[in-house]
Amino acid sequence: MRSQICLVDTSKCTGCRACQSACKQWNQLPAESTTFTGAYENPPYFSCMTWTKVVFREHDDHGSTRWYMSKQGCMHCTDAACVLACPTGAIHHTNQGTVTIDEIKCIGCNYCAAACSFRVIGFDRSANFAKKCTFCYDRISNGLKPACSSACPTGALLFGDEREIIRQAQSRVGYLQANGRQDARIYGLDEVQGTAMLYVLEDFPDRYGLPSDPHVPIQTRIWNAIYGPLRIAVVLAVTFSIWANYNKNRELDEGKAANQDGGGAER
Amino acid sequence: MRISRRKFLKIGAATAAAASLSGLGWPHAADASQNRLRIRYTKEYHTICTFCGVGCGVICHVRNGVIVNIEGDPDHPINEGTLCSKGSSISNISYVFDEAGRPKPNPNRLTKVLYREPSSDRYQEVEWDWALDAIARRIKATRDATLEASVEVDGREVTVNRTQAIGWLGSAFCTGEENYLFHKMARAIGITRMDHCARL
Repeated sequence: MRSQICLVDTSKCTGCRACQSACKQWNQLPAESTTFTGAYENPPYFSCMTWTKVVFREHDDHGSTRWYMSKQGCMHCTDAACVLACPTGAIHHTNQGTVTIDEIKCIGCNYCAAACSFRVIGFDRSANFAKKCTFCYDRISNGLKPACSSACPTGALLFGDEREIIRQAQSRVGYLQANGRQDARIYGLDEVQGTAMLYVLEDFPDRYGLPSDPHVPIQTRIWNAIYGPLRIAVVLAVTFSIWANYNKNRELDEGKAANQDGGGAER
Repeated sequence: MRISRRKFLKIGAATAAAASLSGLGWPHAADASQNRLRIRYTKEYHTICTFCGVGCGVICHVRNGVIVNIEGDPDHPINEGTLCSKGSSISNISYVFDEAGRPKPNPNRLTKVLYREPSSDRYQEVEWDWALDAIARRIKATRDATLEASVEVDGREVTVNRTQAIGWLGSAFCTGEENYLFHKMARAIGITRMDHCARL
């Protein structure tokens, strides 16, 4: 299903935020007015206007401060909690293996944002639906790279064939481990059955602000198991009631017409 | 309202079919609507990013005279398709997006000449012709008043034909060719104090 994925090589990321502004530029997202939060990270949270951003994290490593930065956003998980949580099927996997929100079907219940382990789904209060990274579905299905990946000046965001990207990630991890980064690892290969955003991390995921064990919450699984079949029943019930209501109205109209024909003044 | 058993079964089957069809069909229809590129039917223009002296190549996608998208030029030898955070947002020089996501011309963009008179506290809008004439007249006056034809170096006269009373600034918001012409013009006038924000 998924043929092309994106590699985020955090050892090459300089935190220039070109991906962040390229995302806003391509998706025509407005800027947010923020206040200083004491960190380089800006805006502080993902929202309906900020689909991707560079997350800066500081870590005190035996007296010397280490600075971790990584481009984060929707991971486009294979076992996606948001897809299971969505009651209307608005969030779905596309034929490119990415996760996209269908704005026509979205009812704005925000369950997806609550279920997501990465906290990347923003909620648009004015339009009343959830918004998140689309992996630039329009671009990748037309043979272009995603906006963030095409903008990255240091080559930290690589986009390409899945096998090739995984091979590159493995060789990069091997290089980092051989050069004094014993904790270097690939993130997103086995987590949630594979993500379309693959990370090469120099250290533990939680130091980058990524969940060390992303998973679908058990409540979401239960909800999906119960609600999935119920959904069909609801659709049937709604359709039947619309039909019944239509018939009833027609009957009333016919009755009214008959009364008028008879010259009756009663209503 | 009377529903016969046959009618009920018919309706039930039709509804189930419609529901299953909609479940199958809708996601694909939605994907197809997202499939269209925002930059289709646009004309591409190549230019240079104006923010710094690196000179990254960018492609402007123009539709009906409005720049709808700007991204890095993959064929350009300097940036090979990449752009920095400033360059990625360069289309906002012409158009910005409001809170509802609608494009509007950038209100902070200068489209007229602003002039502040000596010892005035506010700017006023003036015509281009007037401004260019005024600049030319003042450059000429200053240069004629301060022109040094020759200076004495190690006991002999050396022709310099220069003025040290004018400073000349180039701009990274112009292309390299334009800055080359500015430089030539400054040299022709006799200005030796030249600089540029990108130190070209």
